[in-house]
Amino acid sequence: MAENIRLHFSKPGLQTTIQDQGRIGYQGLGIPVNGAMDRGAAQTANNLVGNSTDAPVLEITLMGPTIKVEGDGQIAIAGADLSAKINGEPVPIYETLDVMDGDEISFGRPVTGCRTYLAVRGSWQIASWLGSSSASATKASELTPQSAIQKGQLLEVVYEELVAPAVVAPEDRPDLSKLNIIRVLPGPEFSLISNLTIGDFFSQDFKISNDSNRMGYKLEGTLAHFESAQEVISSGIIPGTIQLTNAGQPIVLMADAQTSGGYTRLANIITEDLDKLAQMKPGDVVRFRLVGLNDI
Amino acid sequence: MIILPYGDNALLINLDQRIDEVVNAQVISLDEAIRHLPGVTFTIPAYCSLTVGFDRDHTSFTELKEIISTLNLKSGVAEGQRDIYHIPVCYQDQHSPDMEGVMEFTGLTAEEIVAQHTLLPFRVFMIGFVAGFAYLGSLPKTLYCPRKTHPRKLVPEGAVGLAGYQTGIYPTDAPGGWQLIGRTPVPTFRPNKEVPALLKPGDYVQFKSVSVEEYESIEADIKQGTYQTEVTHG
Repeated sequence: MAENIRLHFSKPGLQTTIQDQGRIGYQGLGIPVNGAMDRGAAQTANNLVGNSTDAPVLEITLMGPTIKVEGDGQIAIAGADLSAKINGEPVPIYETLDVMDGDEISFGRPVTGCRTYLAVRGSWQIASWLGSSSASATKASELTPQSAIQKGQLLEVVYEELVAPAVVAPEDRPDLSKLNIIRVLPGPEFSLISNLTIGDFFSQDFKISNDSNRMGYKLEGTLAHFESAQEVISSGIIPGTIQLTNAGQPIVLMADAQTSGGYTRLANIITEDLDKLAQMKPGDVVRFRLVGLNDI
Repeated sequence: MIILPYGDNALLINLDQRIDEVVNAQVISLDEAIRHLPGVTFTIPAYCSLTVGFDRDHTSFTELKEIISTLNLKSGVAEGQRDIYHIPVCYQDQHSPDMEGVMEFTGLTAEEIVAQHTLLPFRVFMIGFVAGFAYLGSLPKTLYCPRKTHPRKLVPEGAVGLAGYQTGIYPTDAPGGWQLIGRTPVPTFRPNKEVPALLKPGDYVQFKSVSVEEYESIEADIKQGTYQTEVTHG
């Protein structure tokens, strides 16, 4: 039976937003790209329900929402293991799940990772701005009013023909660890930084600071020998850039980062590993490894 | 011109690293030639650099670098080809909370500060920081003043500030450390337009001093939809 599915959020969760693959092409106007922090997991969730990979999904952070389902349909969850449940019973992630009218989706203890992505089969009835329904970093309540999930919110997804259930094989799922080696390419100012500072950067384990969010991850600690030799004239910045503050603290810019800045750009995380970093949370530990464009 | 890889799906073109209208005009000319190339996903023109994003399924750093290296840079801004936006600013009372600090730092009177700020059009060097924020310059040396030691948590939309040799208009409420000397009722960020930013790099802004009453009357016209920003070519 062709029936729309409605999600009713009785609890919003810690930080639940609607994200897609972002608004690309407006950075020159100062508009951040936004979109899912773990692009790959969002695409996987959409694939499992037969939606296009750039369709909207719920980005659920650490403590998930409680969602009452109205209507029958299909969902899939990919990314962090946040102990997803339907009607209180644990359900698998990385596979297509049926939901029925009256079901309750909820989450429990975060087991691995930081963010999980919930896709719903069908066409999401949600406002978009500049080609994306991702929660905007500016004027969110005006531009993308439905994209930061609030308690009591109702979200409607228009029926599309259901798909054959699918599963992502365990060996094809990313391994979400609290300790990761992240590969980086030399950044624009790499050659202006002393060897001592570079050596210090690649030999340290960095703890991700509590002061980390969708705009950027601060890494605890400073680089001992860093001297900001010359001021960088404001220039474009992109997600995955590792910049050093004048005090030598590394900050990794993430999906909601502003589009320009004047700090030294030490390195850039390769696209594949940026998804991995997005699954790390404050307190997790990261180490960086330098690679070349030809290695990836 | 130096072309550097910038992550695995962008590159950075660095021109002569200085804040200069001629260099910035080269950035804009490069941007116009590059932004519509096949495989290019976004560009970020800045003072003296251009960030170019690309889709690795359609092109590569090596391929784009080769194309870009063959482009001829136009330089300079021909007289008569500049789009000048005339922006009314009220430099009085509650609209200029940092005027006294700026007077103290520069040693100028409020009248002199306003006169210098409204004397000549300023160039939009780049858009950044927040959506639609235009970095305008360069200020005359006499107007130079540092950022505030303690940035404000909230600068209101329309506030006009100074920082170093730059001046700018806050397009939305945002945190900020610029010295606020005035405020315009004209929105510079219009999210529902196809191009949401009023200004683009290479445009010019001529500030015009208005009274509190004129500010309020323009604000009312804007609400009515009857206000038209004056644009001249010069």
